Amino acid sequence: MKIKYCIYSFFISLFLSGCDPLVTTFDDVEDAVMYQSNMLIEYPAKKSINVMTWNIRFGVARLDFALDACGDRVIISKSEIISGLEGIAKKINDTNVDIVLMQEVDVQSKRSSYVDQVQWLLNNTNMNYGAYASKWKSQIILADGIGRVDAGNLILSKWKLEDPKRYQLPLRGDQDGLTQLFYLRRNVVTAKVDMPGTPFYAVNAHLTAFATDDTKQKHISGFKNILDDIVDSGSNFVAGGDLNALPPNATKTDYCLDDQCELGTYHSGKEEEHREGSYFTPEINWLNDLYGVYEPAITLEQYGMNEPEHFTHSPGHKPLLDRKLDYLWTNTSWSNGKTHQDATTLSDHMPVTANWEVE
Amino acid sequence: MRVAYFLFFFSFISAQWSSKSAYLLEKNRKEVGIFTPFKMGMKNGSELSINKFLLMPSVSLKQEMPIFNSWKMARKFRIEYPTPGLKWIQSPLGGEMGDPNMFSLISTQFTIPQMLSFYTEMIGTKGNVKSGQLSLSAGLGVALNGKDLSNDATIDLPIIYPRLSTYYNDYVIISGAEYLRQLYERIYYLIDYDMYIMPGSEGRYAFEQQSLLVWQKSSRLNLSFGYKLVVGEYPFGGQAHLLPTINLKFGW
Repeated sequence: MKIKYCIYSFFISLFLSGCDPLVTTFDDVEDAVMYQSNMLIEYPAKKSINVMTWNIRFGVARLDFALDACGDRVIISKSEIISGLEGIAKKINDTNVDIVLMQEVDVQSKRSSYVDQVQWLLNNTNMNYGAYASKWKSQIILADGIGRVDAGNLILSKWKLEDPKRYQLPLRGDQDGLTQLFYLRRNVVTAKVDMPGTPFYAVNAHLTAFATDDTKQKHISGFKNILDDIVDSGSNFVAGGDLNALPPNATKTDYCLDDQCELGTYHSGKEEEHREGSYFTPEINWLNDLYGVYEPAITLEQYGMNEPEHFTHSPGHKPLLDRKLDYLWTNTSWSNGKTHQDATTLSDHMPVTANWEVE
Repeated sequence: MRVAYFLFFFSFISAQWSSKSAYLLEKNRKEVGIFTPFKMGMKNGSELSINKFLLMPSVSLKQEMPIFNSWKMARKFRIEYPTPGLKWIQSPLGGEMGDPNMFSLISTQFTIPQMLSFYTEMIGTKGNVKSGQLSLSAGLGVALNGKDLSNDATIDLPIIYPRLSTYYNDYVIISGAEYLRQLYERIYYLIDYDMYIMPGSEGRYAFEQQSLLVWQKSSRLNLSFGYKLVVGEYPFGGQAHLLPTINLKFGW
């Protein structure tokens, strides 16, 4: 009887563990996943906190990845991923940042040879804690041999993170149901940074890049609502991310021809006039609300005086930076805002840093 | 009398429907299932099996062997040519990189070389279906030219990963067991397991346990359904899957 019980218990436990969904969906608000470094370092409180936002392109640097560039590779070898991460870790350590808001981080993706990039970065930088939120989690993506994927947003911190939350943003409204099921689930991840004496919130977002309807506007609005709630609760925040939107005073808003992989694909009177994610003209004012209420690390005046100096992105196959998509925000004030264009070989997005002055 | 009874049941099973046991289909009997290969009983005490999925051609031959103690014995040889099938699943709809290439399971960045695999297996069967028939098997699979296939080109899914592992790992050790028992006149239940050992591979093992309820309507129609539990290690780590299984077999 006891043996039978053990056998049944064994199989029931296996059944339960075998019930992982094919595609992971998320609640509107749920806990983010906490990580910590293998070796913790104690940091005292600071008056000026160095904050970075960086879309690290899952450590593939400028390799010709097929899905966001014009390349022919989907699976990147482990040695190439580790090499890419080493460059990113060196930049983080050299910059001596205290908080990093990171986008496009893989934890269990075939495309990046299943390297847990969150744990790797924690173990190879001066950061102690991480809060991770998946934006794309599926046992299989049935396209291009992508296979298994778990990619998302990450907050890295020298100080302990508390109450990490993942806020689901609306799904793209311009996709059919099947595509939407297997597509990205954009989110905002927040965590309370327990800096001794002066806790504050870190907020990280990666908004839609390719939606052709008003999804991006909803994402910007959702991001701002989260910031508003933090301020309403009497707290301060450092926020940022890859908003996939241009500053309202950007002089160029149409990148269809720059981003096309084959000449004559767009602006040629064919069915698809504009390239998804490259035509910003109709949405150029969508960041006005954020600029109107909160303090950017790079002000519109600074940006307008010398646009190229603040460009943060160019598509994977073109290292010459040509647009600003990455931002830092706070409800108080920044100093020394800087776009690190020397990192152009490390990702298709450049890190933006600034010092947050603790009030 | 007991021996006659015993032989009757075994002959019934071997004549009617194939299984993983050491018993063979009777000569000239043929069967095919939705999810199982075409099988045919041969005149020379053997059973031929051919995969219906022509892009992944595979042929196997099961041969009778002398009884060992009270175990009915058989050996099985299989040869498989996976190259056309693996090339096909790189681009099932003929799309190109960036189209996107829907339903592709292996990136087109990888070259699929010409490969062959050979499997050899020993099977022993004891007992009868009335009181329970147990079959045990063990074998080895080796691949030729698998070294030219990138280890990053794996399909990290249950069922598929261990069956293709020999091409990435050069060899695989397999073992299995099946227990078949009659419940009612035409209703049987079947419990089996398969174990794949892949030493040196990123996913080192896969364990598959299946339970089926089988309805043998006649010698022409066989319906089975149940579940398959797969517990395995993949390049990303371990995972368990519980999958429904159903099969319809036709015999003549």
